Amino acid sequence: MSTEDKKTRAQLLKQLREQYRDTVDRTQALLKEHNAVRKEIFKAMGDEPRTVPEIAELSGVSSHEVLWHITALKKYDLVAEVGMDGEYYQYQKVKGGAS
Amino acid sequence: MALEKLQVDSLIVGGGIAGMQAALDLADQGYQVALVEKEASIGGKMIALSKVFPTLDCCSCITTPKMSAVAHHENIQLLTYCEVQALEENGGGYTALVEKKPRYVIEEDCTGCRECEYACPIDLPSDFDRGMGAYRAVRVPFSTAVPQVATLDIENCILCGKCEKVCPHGCIDFTQTARHFEIETTAIVLATGFEVTPKDAKKEYGAGQFDNVIDGLMMERLLAPTGPYGHVLRPGDGKEPDSIAYVQCAGSRDATLGIEYCSRVCCMYAIKQAMLLSGALPLADITIYYMDIRTFGKGYEQFYQTARAMGIEFVKGKVAQITEDENKNPVVRVEMLDEGSKIVERTHDLVVLSVGLLPGYNPGSLYGVPAADDGFVTVPSPNISPSETARPGIFVTGVAAGPMDIVDSIVLSGAAASEAAAYIEAHNSRVAVSESKGKKELAHV
Repeated sequence: MSTEDKKTRAQLLKQLREQYRDTVDRTQALLKEHNAVRKEIFKAMGDEPRTVPEIAELSGVSSHEVLWHITALKKYDLVAEVGMDGEYYQYQKVKGGAS
Repeated sequence: MALEKLQVDSLIVGGGIAGMQAALDLADQGYQVALVEKEASIGGKMIALSKVFPTLDCCSCITTPKMSAVAHHENIQLLTYCEVQALEENGGGYTALVEKKPRYVIEEDCTGCRECEYACPIDLPSDFDRGMGAYRAVRVPFSTAVPQVATLDIENCILCGKCEKVCPHGCIDFTQTARHFEIETTAIVLATGFEVTPKDAKKEYGAGQFDNVIDGLMMERLLAPTGPYGHVLRPGDGKEPDSIAYVQCAGSRDATLGIEYCSRVCCMYAIKQAMLLSGALPLADITIYYMDIRTFGKGYEQFYQTARAMGIEFVKGKVAQITEDENKNPVVRVEMLDEGSKIVERTHDLVVLSVGLLPGYNPGSLYGVPAADDGFVTVPSPNISPSETARPGIFVTGVAAGPMDIVDSIVLSGAAASEAAAYIEAHNSRVAVSESKGKKELAHV
């Protein structure tokens, strides 16, 4: 992409951000919230295989919410299912995926 | 500027199983068909189901070839992410004004590689997985979507431009706007489908506030091979459930909800899911609380008897209330009609509400087709012309006409295609006669 094209593209995105300011602001707030929750989830997971209730207890995030985030992270290869502990599956961070 | 125009024999509205079947049945007879679908992919509700009753065929295995056949049929023009906005009569036929919503992706160039989806930072609850899984703000709707094209959800996008940077074919186009065009057609077939009773409709059942009380369509996703968790787990905490209960008529035959009709599919889908659960979780106890079991289709009664023989517990009784214990296990309060009407409370790991079918869309104002008291499209002569509406040239199929299962939807779509074909032929004959009359009159001048 030429410098001129890069400038035009940046300008277009800026214009669109202005046009969709309300939805962009709402979505940015959602992203911020998700990032904060995931930081807690990853901290609770460490490098060990963990079940959803374990992560929920260690992170203080509700087990329903933990499961939703783990499901999203698993879909996009950031977390993997690695085994079972009783009635619960265990999940672990994928090396090079999650931070 | 003049609008782009398409001329077809029949316009099909809705790309679920009923609409696809009607489109294929008409196109196979040589009629030109336009199929308009409001979502980014065809497939409707059926593509999200696990297996079909009573054969237990894999839904995806049956639906995907039909989706592909629709997309590749030489007589079908597939118009996804489009909605009919207005309809006018035009000399024996109709002209529909259609809006194509912007995908912000150049459809012709997108290969469905999903690079954009992986780069997108926004995770949203997935409608396809009934909120249990996630998808991104830019995404291919689901793995077997037709067309395999990404769509950017601008209302849930931060416009970071990451998708645009990674797309190998330069498909992301933030400048796209809605496009309008007209479809001139002789006949219309409405296949606008259904919605299910909202999970929060009944406060007695927790008003949608209990994580481990789900609806039948959520269980379909849990049982599907492409489901959100990859296993049957309860959404509250990911536990593999040992005890699962079904509450029948949770939204049908219920005067308190204003839904007095039987939805005709809930008994069979609950029995089917119970059988599939017996396979997926062989040690789990499965209970179905019911008022009546209605298994009226071909092979359905045998299906029910097989389920009983497999050890699924059928309890005759209406569930009055569902509460939650301290471990978030649903507690079902039920009058056991076969045990002297005693009231008991039973705790389960997961409860499935067998929710009913509601009309998904009222075509009244746009298509001039009245709805009956139950909200489904009125069919004035169901015994003689089961798909004919009150307006000439407009036909209806699938659950838009009233609650029915997939088998009946396929049958009715065949009927709708036949009735539409007869209407098109009659129309074409009238046009041919009036044209030849015109020629004769001209010859005498």
